[in-house]
Amino acid sequence: MANLRKTHPLIKIANDSLIDLPTPSNISAWWNFGSLLGLCLISQIITGLFLAMHYTSDISTAFSSVVHICRDVNYGWLIRNIHANGASFFFICIYLHVGRGLYYGSYLYKETWNLGVILLLLLMMTAFVGYVLPWGQMSFWGATVITNLLSAIPYIGNNLVQWIWGDFSVNNATLTRFFAFHFLLPFIILATTMIHLIFLHETGSNNPTGITTDSDKITFHPYFSYKDLLGFAILIMLLVSLSLFAPNLLGDPENFTPANPLVTPPHIKPEWYFLFAYAILRSIPNKLGGVIALFASILVLFCVPLLHTSKQRSLTFRPLGQVLFWLLVGDIITLTWIGGMPVEHPYIIIGQIASLIYFMILLIFMPALNLYENKIWW
Amino acid sequence: MGRHFGDLAKIRHIVTYSLSPFEQRAFTNFFSKGIPNVWRRFSGSFFKVAPLLTYLIYTWGNSVHEQSMRKNPADYANDE
Repeated sequence: MANLRKTHPLIKIANDSLIDLPTPSNISAWWNFGSLLGLCLISQIITGLFLAMHYTSDISTAFSSVVHICRDVNYGWLIRNIHANGASFFFICIYLHVGRGLYYGSYLYKETWNLGVILLLLLMMTAFVGYVLPWGQMSFWGATVITNLLSAIPYIGNNLVQWIWGDFSVNNATLTRFFAFHFLLPFIILATTMIHLIFLHETGSNNPTGITTDSDKITFHPYFSYKDLLGFAILIMLLVSLSLFAPNLLGDPENFTPANPLVTPPHIKPEWYFLFAYAILRSIPNKLGGVIALFASILVLFCVPLLHTSKQRSLTFRPLGQVLFWLLVGDIITLTWIGGMPVEHPYIIIGQIASLIYFMILLIFMPALNLYENKIWW
Repeated sequence: MGRHFGDLAKIRHIVTYSLSPFEQRAFTNFFSKGIPNVWRRFSGSFFKVAPLLTYLIYTWGNSVHEQSMRKNPADYANDE
């Protein structure tokens, strides 16, 4: 058996990434989120497949088809709740996964990191088009606000937006194509994830010290196969608890009203996982500037490996860097809060300062502090 | 593809020692040293990790906003 496991061209692939994979012995629970993201993706694809069997993407029936799923389809309510809340858990896991990469310098595996940023972008696109599908008020107006952002692009903006709409407003053609994209994108994410893993396994996992541990590697199975299973159990428990006890906690009540182009909701805001980017978008008065800042808030992650000035990889032994990292986390929490607030004093100025600090920490303070810490500790 | 055991690093002259499981005491000083150690580790990182500044901005921002939403009581002094 052992031979087949190591020689069979297909089983060998599974063996090399799940059983005999050399893994650092000291990786902490922060290294669980990669496998948890895999679990999120699989569960979203499966629940999504069952939802797609009953959903209709025509604006006249989309809203009621979701009601039909929740009321008439066997366990449709459960599948729908798990899919909707699963999206939130997907983002919780991916933000913690990115945070882990930032803290421990995992971004120095540049191919793996850059693919990860692409995966984050793909996930955000998938979640955005997915939120439009129930065709509630917030679905419609969220889609209207966000697609309209592209009109800020000089010269081609307006044509581009109408091209994406397939109409002169968010309408039937828009919903149908968003459904097509929402079905397609997860499989692109799946394929990109495979490449993300191939590149990861070329180098092996980073670890909390940021130092190569080639002389102290242990097999993935049983040590991390079981640790990942424990993570799975915890994630499933949390997801099922949220889906059963408070399924609408993270949703917007406005989305219980069918989309109506004639009635604009008083407060249009995205789901919680987009609020930080929404706050950055709104903190710049100029439309094009806001759109650029919005995209930059994610694309700035591509710059992180290029701005690594420290002699050390991880933040574990750099107390000042740690303070700055947690300030960044606090800043993102502030942005998330501001993104959900009305555009009034003092939220405007808090959002503007927090947006500025977000970019300053990543682009200026972190590289500068790294240079300083290189000097004071050694 | 990927990296494999036996191909990772050149390791020579490593002697490993271990204690027999029958001689190990897994819970030695569990309470007497464990609890103070939890406190030491917690207090060592709490002020670094906790978003205290965010909390201060949050409470300040909300109170200022609430204040700005109030009507001016003087405008209604003679209303009866």
